[in-house]
Amino acid sequence: MVTVYSITNCPWCDKTKKYLASKGVEFEVRNIEENEDFAKECLQLSGDTMVPVTTVDGKNFVLGFDKAKIDELLAG
Amino acid sequence: MAKEQVHKDIVIIGAGMAGLTAAMYAGRMNLDVLVLENGIVGGQIANATGIENYPGFISVKGADLISTLQQQAENFGAVIDEFDTIKKVTLRENPKIIETEEKIYLADVVIIASGMNRRKLPLPEERKFAGCGVHYCELCDGHMYNGKIIAVMGGGNAALDAANFLTKYTDKLYLIHRSEFRADEVTQEKVRQNPKIEIMLQTEIKALHGAGKLENIDILDKKSGETKNIAVDGIFVNIGVVPNTELFKDELKLTASGRIAAGEDCKTEIEGVFAAGDVREKEIRQLTTAAADGTTAALLAEKLLRNFSKKEKA
Repeated sequence: MVTVYSITNCPWCDKTKKYLASKGVEFEVRNIEENEDFAKECLQLSGDTMVPVTTVDGKNFVLGFDKAKIDELLAG
Repeated sequence: MAKEQVHKDIVIIGAGMAGLTAAMYAGRMNLDVLVLENGIVGGQIANATGIENYPGFISVKGADLISTLQQQAENFGAVIDEFDTIKKVTLRENPKIIETEEKIYLADVVIIASGMNRRKLPLPEERKFAGCGVHYCELCDGHMYNGKIIAVMGGGNAALDAANFLTKYTDKLYLIHRSEFRADEVTQEKVRQNPKIEIMLQTEIKALHGAGKLENIDILDKKSGETKNIAVDGIFVNIGVVPNTELFKDELKLTASGRIAAGEDCKTEIEGVFAAGDVREKEIRQLTTAAADGTTAALLAEKLLRNFSKKEKA
């Protein structure tokens, strides 16, 4: 399952979600402003709380919206 | 594999206020319209937290205004592609050629509404701290500084709005500007009334310091000539904008400021190529004038397409 760490008002998070949706990819959104555990997970994963962070396996991730890198991540 | 070629009546480059308004008008005239956007739909105003000078709205979030406008444009048939990226444009041929990563678009008319991007902090340490101390989107990154010390750099409406917005995260914010504020009086008053904001006019950031993340900055007081060091966790830079005209510099005449030379009719030197919104050289750049440009460009584009069509029939 793809996970996107995001915040409530974030144009690049929205773009990432729209991109995944346009490719028919199912994903879970984890809002780090609303849930402290999600914020800790995001920090542990990327070393920062900058969003969006997209991950498939909880290990490899893409910080920000980068279409090529997200495609690479999805391709595994 | 060769890229697919697709014909469009109008290709609009940029989905900010000007581009989306043009798309809505062109869509209403049953034209086949594609809008290409490399960045964020809405452009600069997607980050605006409260717009109070757009007619008909007491106060509206930029994202909400753009979302409605996007829906209006799409309802009239305009297609907005925000995931493909333009690689090259050839405007002096007919049809004009817009080559993206995925396709080659052949367009009878091109409306350039590519807008502007925020100017980067002109310090060598900018790259070191970009994303970990130096930021350009308060809406996206402000949450990273909850309870920390923030500085905002700039003196226009956008900078002062950013400062006010960011005080939701911090009790201490420095508003640093090299001269006097350019923002309108209403916005200036809001900042002056905000007890969390310390205004530092006639000052300049001279250096950034920190191991890994930003920790403190050197500020020059231009009046006294003294430099002092203050602790700051994050800087939000709002020191103006640069036009997005890199793609067009070999095709169109650019002005000294890098914008596209075009009159109030939005027509450029090339027939069938219009420039609309902030990317066009003009004295006043507001949301309302961007919408006006989008309207003008779309209506004159339709007139031109009708003339093309008449010539073809004759």
